[in-house]
Amino acid sequence: METPGQRVRLRIAAVLIASAAALPAHADQCYAVDSSRGALSFEVKQAGAPFRGKFKRFGGEVCLLADKVTRIEVWLEPASVDAGLPEIDAALRDKDFFAVSQFPRAVYSSQSVEVRGNDLVSHGTLQMKDKRRNFDVPFSLRREGDQQVVSGTLTLNRLDYGVGTGEWSNTQWLANEVKLDFKVTLAAISR
Amino acid sequence: MAKWRNTTDTYGIIAQAMHWLVAAMVLVQLGLGLYAADLPVSLARLQWLSRHKSLGLAILALILLRFAWRAMNRPPALPAAMPSWQQRAARAMHWLLYALLVLAPLTGWLHASAAGLSVSWFGLFQVPDLISQDKELSALLKIAHRTCVALLSILLLGHAGAALWHAFVLRDGVLHRMLPWKPRGSA
Repeated sequence: METPGQRVRLRIAAVLIASAAALPAHADQCYAVDSSRGALSFEVKQAGAPFRGKFKRFGGEVCLLADKVTRIEVWLEPASVDAGLPEIDAALRDKDFFAVSQFPRAVYSSQSVEVRGNDLVSHGTLQMKDKRRNFDVPFSLRREGDQQVVSGTLTLNRLDYGVGTGEWSNTQWLANEVKLDFKVTLAAISR
Repeated sequence: MAKWRNTTDTYGIIAQAMHWLVAAMVLVQLGLGLYAADLPVSLARLQWLSRHKSLGLAILALILLRFAWRAMNRPPALPAAMPSWQQRAARAMHWLLYALLVLAPLTGWLHASAAGLSVSWFGLFQVPDLISQDKELSALLKIAHRTCVALLSILLLGHAGAALWHAFVLRDGVLHRMLPWKPRGSA
């Protein structure tokens, strides 16, 4: 025969088990950003004409909660730059540009994500070389079939991050504004 | 009094002006290209090669204008005393020169396009790319461009040598057809 005390304890246990089971539905679902499932390209004007390239290695995480973006943490390895010309790629890895041996990764972390119309804006910080700056990234999150796709276009000033120092700080020949285009299909992370 | 158009025995002012303008531009262009080709990736390389590309496109445009003008203006005849094999050789030389004056800038333009280094003409307007970026093709086009330039240089030496030979050895007035003044004692 159960005592009233035991009954209360059982009930509490039942509630705890139920809420524990329900918990994952309310927690963030994080997805992997992986360069094998996306593309990141850049465009900068050289001598007044566009010059394009891409970065082949990047990654990180995007976390969602009920289709809302809660966290973005992404990185990029500038050593993976591919502008189509080996001698230019080598110069971009060198100290005047990305100084990859000293600064192997650039990292972006969001502090908050704001809904703006149909799209989103992430407020966060971008750490590149020895510079760390507040940086807003406008982007969109769309469902394509059963996949979540993150994409966006943004412009940053390379000189804010010391990319292209010395003679390359001449913005008449190499523009300060660098356009970045990204598109990545999120991959679920199993934990 | 010099004529604008070609006559039976001399090139007109327009043909002469275009010839010497292209000649001067090609000499500057060869100098720019040879100088910039061996520069390491640097601001100087970007600047000199950008000027080289813009000048090359200007030469290409002028050469095409020269073709159009030539089509409407028969060149003056070669001296009747010139053996027919020499006349044929001279004609072949000129067509080869014209071909290379088109091919050298054209392969340069194709190379710039394939390399992904598009051209803004002296910073004034964006020149379209002829083909899309392609690493392997870009390497081949670089060889093609250099080959055209090497052949063109040899031909230009032959062209200038032949002109001087006509002027100072044969003294048959062939060079003076392309000069604004005529040798003393000639009509």
